[in-house]
Amino acid sequence: MIKTQPAVELEHVSASLERGERVEDVSLVVQRAESVALLGGSGSGKTVALRVAAGLEEISSGTVRLLGEDPMELSEDEYVNLRRRVGVVFDRPALISNMSVFSNVALPLRYHTLGNDRQIEERVLEALREWGVEAFRDRFPAELAPADARLVAMARALMFDPEILFIDEMVIGLDAWGVARLRAFFEKMRAKGVKTIVASASAPNSLLQLMDRLLFFREGRIIAEGKPSELSKATDPTVQALFGT
Amino acid sequence: MVGWIGRKTAKGVAYASDVLYLAYLSFKELFAGSPRGRGEALRVITRQVIFTGVDALPAVSLIALLVGFIVIIQAGTTLPRVGAGPLLAQIVVLTIVRELGPLITAFIVVWRSGTAISIELGNMRVGHELAALQAMGISLTRFIVMPRMVGAIVATLCLTVYFDFVAVVGGFLAAKIQLTIPLAVYFGDIADSLSLADLLITVIKAGLFGFTIAIICSHHGLLVEKSVTEVPQQTTRAMLNTVTICLMLDIVVTAGFYL
Repeated sequence: MIKTQPAVELEHVSASLERGERVEDVSLVVQRAESVALLGGSGSGKTVALRVAAGLEEISSGTVRLLGEDPMELSEDEYVNLRRRVGVVFDRPALISNMSVFSNVALPLRYHTLGNDRQIEERVLEALREWGVEAFRDRFPAELAPADARLVAMARALMFDPEILFIDEMVIGLDAWGVARLRAFFEKMRAKGVKTIVASASAPNSLLQLMDRLLFFREGRIIAEGKPSELSKATDPTVQALFGT
Repeated sequence: MVGWIGRKTAKGVAYASDVLYLAYLSFKELFAGSPRGRGEALRVITRQVIFTGVDALPAVSLIALLVGFIVIIQAGTTLPRVGAGPLLAQIVVLTIVRELGPLITAFIVVWRSGTAISIELGNMRVGHELAALQAMGISLTRFIVMPRMVGAIVATLCLTVYFDFVAVVGGFLAAKIQLTIPLAVYFGDIADSLSLADLLITVIKAGLFGFTIAIICSHHGLLVEKSVTEVPQQTTRAMLNTVTICLMLDIVVTAGFYL
């Protein structure tokens, strides 16, 4: 029963961040194993929508269900369990600055005591290898290039093997190598068809073609929606300017 | 005027309740039964003890020696002139063990570690590190505040006892160039003057000061919202408030024991 529920449901949600960005009366549903991109310029509301959907922000009205649960209605233990099923990559790497790359990626496993030291080390090294940042395992975040830091953040967010992954500004800070890694990841997830992905982007990029659906935000509302191939037919001038043929 | 007093009082009460709530959450995490995060918290505690305690030893040694020297040389040369030479040990215990030891150690901990806690947490907020921790289901009180509180309490306790020892013993040895009191007599008098209450009071004050420093500085670090310019502002406030509250607590404990 639970498995058939959508991964994310937002119903008439209004919310705002302290820095002024907001969404108004936004409703959206993301099905399990679906990949959705939230698009829009700075301040369009896509980041608020992503954070609300990820259960990280309180809302002023409406309802949010993440993996079938309202994140704000859960007990502390239930909330922690929900967080282990959800991965989040912020628009900045947000790595813990006084921890090495290895410790950063190991942190979620160590904190939630998921495995012994040897098992954790194996899993962390495997993740670092997968994202091409194994050579930086002993470096600290300040010693990393932004693109590498972003890949480490991806590795960390996937440590729980989450059912759903939120990526704010999917290609920000990434170099061509990083984009290729992310593309390979998206393709792998698409082929497996098990992980839900909700990502945001401020500008068109090649990875959007791998998404099942694109939602275009402006002034806190969804103004256009469709498959990547359909968005070029949207009538809105802003969407046309970015995706028109 | 009445309105101003009312607003200030309300602000003070709100501030105190926020700080006490953070302290409550930290103690709750300390005694929580769940094993989640224990290993990581222990790592943070160890780091905090090393930074606040071990790394501060050179600074504490020098300051304790200087303070001990000043107090002992002043008392040792002045008291005999008024026929109160035998009171030297009592004066040393009174000023150093009961008051200056815990207070000056607390000030050193505030300057070194309190500011570091406030700055670190403020920068973590600005860098979205705290948001990332929450997104991973990591409790900020369990992983960030509680270990710093425990580490600061342990380190401040040990440093205070160390400060008292260096000031009382080292200070006397340094002052020996000027004083004629035999070493054995001095230590005998110190042992006679030192009561269990004196030792207890130094331990209670040190523990309270360590707790106050960690909680208030963590609170101010967590108050940072979005800009790096808030970090020095909150750090300054943290220092000022911590020193003021430590002095108030010192008076309360002293009054409770001796008045």
